[in-house]
Amino acid sequence: MADDSVLRPDLALVLERITDGFFALDAQWRISYMNAEARKLLHAREDVLGVYWLDAFPKARGRLFEREYTRAMRDQRPVQFVEYSQTANRWFEVKAYPSLDGLSVYFRDVTARIEAQQEVERTARRQQALIDFGRTALSGGHLDALLSDAVDLVREALDASVIEVYDYEPQNACFALRYAAGWATGAAMEREFPALEHLRHAVESGEPFVSSDIRIESRARSLAPLAALGVLSCICVPIGSAREPLGAIVAFHPKPRTVSAVDVRFVEALAQTIAEAARTSESNRRIAQVLESIRDAFVAVGRDERITYVNARMAAFWGGEPVDFIGRPLAHFTEKFEDGGYGAARFRESLREDRPLTFEMPFRERWFEVRLYPYSDGVAAYVRDITRRKNEQQRMIALNVELERRVAERTKQLELANKELESFSYSVSHDLRAPLRAIDGFSQALVEDYAEALGDGGRGYLDRVRKAAQRMADLIDALLGLAKVARASIEMRPLDVTEIVREVAADLHDGDPCRDVEIEIETGMRASGEPGLVHAVFANLMGNAWKFTRLAERPKIRVGRTPEGEFFVADNGAGFDMAYSNKLFGAFQRLHAADDYEGTGIGLATVARIVHRHGGSVRADGAVGSGATFYFTLPAAKERVGLDEQQTVHPAG
Amino acid sequence: MSSKPYILLVEDNPDDVELTRRAFAKNHIANEVVVLTDGAQALEFLFDADRHGRSLPQVILLDLKLPKISGLEVLERIRANDATCLIPTVILTSSKQDEDLLAGYRLGVNSYVRKPVDFNEFVEAVRQVGLYWLVLNEAPPAAATGGMS
Repeated sequence: MADDSVLRPDLALVLERITDGFFALDAQWRISYMNAEARKLLHAREDVLGVYWLDAFPKARGRLFEREYTRAMRDQRPVQFVEYSQTANRWFEVKAYPSLDGLSVYFRDVTARIEAQQEVERTARRQQALIDFGRTALSGGHLDALLSDAVDLVREALDASVIEVYDYEPQNACFALRYAAGWATGAAMEREFPALEHLRHAVESGEPFVSSDIRIESRARSLAPLAALGVLSCICVPIGSAREPLGAIVAFHPKPRTVSAVDVRFVEALAQTIAEAARTSESNRRIAQVLESIRDAFVAVGRDERITYVNARMAAFWGGEPVDFIGRPLAHFTEKFEDGGYGAARFRESLREDRPLTFEMPFRERWFEVRLYPYSDGVAAYVRDITRRKNEQQRMIALNVELERRVAERTKQLELANKELESFSYSVSHDLRAPLRAIDGFSQALVEDYAEALGDGGRGYLDRVRKAAQRMADLIDALLGLAKVARASIEMRPLDVTEIVREVAADLHDGDPCRDVEIEIETGMRASGEPGLVHAVFANLMGNAWKFTRLAERPKIRVGRTPEGEFFVADNGAGFDMAYSNKLFGAFQRLHAADDYEGTGIGLATVARIVHRHGGSVRADGAVGSGATFYFTLPAAKERVGLDEQQTVHPAG
Repeated sequence: MSSKPYILLVEDNPDDVELTRRAFAKNHIANEVVVLTDGAQALEFLFDADRHGRSLPQVILLDLKLPKISGLEVLERIRANDATCLIPTVILTSSKQDEDLLAGYRLGVNSYVRKPVDFNEFVEAVRQVGLYWLVLNEAPPAAATGGMS
């Protein structure tokens, strides 16, 4: 055995020179050789040779070292492994080669490699943790659940014993403990919050505050008492920015230590995510407040056609609380619409074409207006009860239909009346005159054939009979003329009124050349109207003036316009009593005895009807013995449009 | 056939017939006046080849408001028939309604005369109609009217 334990000198030389550690064990597990590198790495004593290996390195007991060496010897096969040596406080990569008389062990320090590897893994884990955390935050869960996750992550990453989360209340610049983990029961309750200088440092600067030993921390004296609670170092990271602080997260460690920059950045990243989540949560809360306060019902539907939000009004309509409906498929509700899938199709259309849509639909005997607004994740729908508006609309439509029906009916009646009037006029024209002609003709025959038998008296009576017949014939003609005005359709044309008046004046002079009547005509008068009818108006009015000035000393007729634009025909003739002015324009109304002034009593009625049919008005002014003036209006010259349809279609009206 | 020119008066009102005869007499118009009292009679008479041995009238005086067939329809049928289309025809009526005037001229009437109520005026109107259509006016050649000889 002793021989075996001594290596040949040349071999020993080689083993001393290799940079790996090397030692050899004999069959009884005693150390038979150990090179200088091994002695250095394992801090071995000088007299280690011949010592049972586990006596020399007791910390290897029960670990991979012992298990693997034993297996190698038992199986007589080489083993290789990496293990942390508590003897050396280093990581070793070990290769052991068994033989029947012992074990040769080579090992080298791989601490740097392993630690680097572990660092990479830890960084990857943290990054994954941050990503997962960010995703959780985005999914819009409750903020407290998110904080709980954050606390677990910080505790694990920093090996922290106590974690606290504070809310910052900007109104009174005060901190409120929102979450604490790790303190002995009741410890947190005893702490005084206003004097949290470490929090204030972090929040006011927007930068992390790190204290490697709180017992000697001069910047935040509030920390020192905490040492009594079993923590000695801390890191305090603000949530939110210095401009808009939301709170802080604090991690304590039971030993004095300097926190690595990587750890600080990790907590900062968490704090930033928390800040964003808090802001989102706040803005969501505000949006929700708005959506709850609006009077319309509101529902949001995701791309998967599931409900992501309903406000209280919508939920109440469906008979429940908002939480009862979130996550349920939209179809659950649209299939109740009894609209043949119309509403559901509109939702899909809006989503597919990314375009706002509005539609109306009946539901449970009410009418609703649904406005759809697509957004990145789905469709928002505002639903408004428009039953009242709709009913009003339908009432209006029904009213219109009824009105149109009545108008049509009335039109038909008017057309019928018009036809009757026409046939009446025709009959009057043909049949009423024939008897008059017989009366006149045979009266004349009597006078001619039986003159002697009749005598003067008889001839005088027959003369009266004939005059009466003639007068009735004139009346019939005048009536027919009036009826014609009522029936005629009026086509507006620009008129030279002065020229028309001149023509009428010339006719009057020609028809009665014995009289000397001065007629004064304003120049440049223009208007719109039917030429024949407007001519008839002036012929009637000026004819009357001509007639009623017969007894005037110096008869004069003036035709012109008032400053207001009314046309007037004035004379200095017999005039009339204003008390009867309302009777002037009725058919067959006369203010003078037939013997004084001839006439049918139809003229002014015809004038009034013509003026009215032009959309104008007519009035008279006068006094007995001091002449009369007739005023009337006509459409202005520039208006070339015809009268409205109704007047053209229903002349009798 | 008799070739003596005569006047055909289509008139249903006996008063007007009498007044018209009287007016002709006062104007010394001696032509025979044949009177028919409705439109159907008038057409039957005119379209009858025999016509009780008469030729076609020299002038037709036609009232518009006639029993059975109206004056305007009689006019239309006369104008549509080769044998009668050239006979001078005068509407002699109470009406001076625009639509009657227009329809009469559209259907090819030669004159439209309104019967005045005043008998003296009526006599004057009849005088002028008689003078013009029976004396002044040259009738179309007999061959063209297919019956006048």
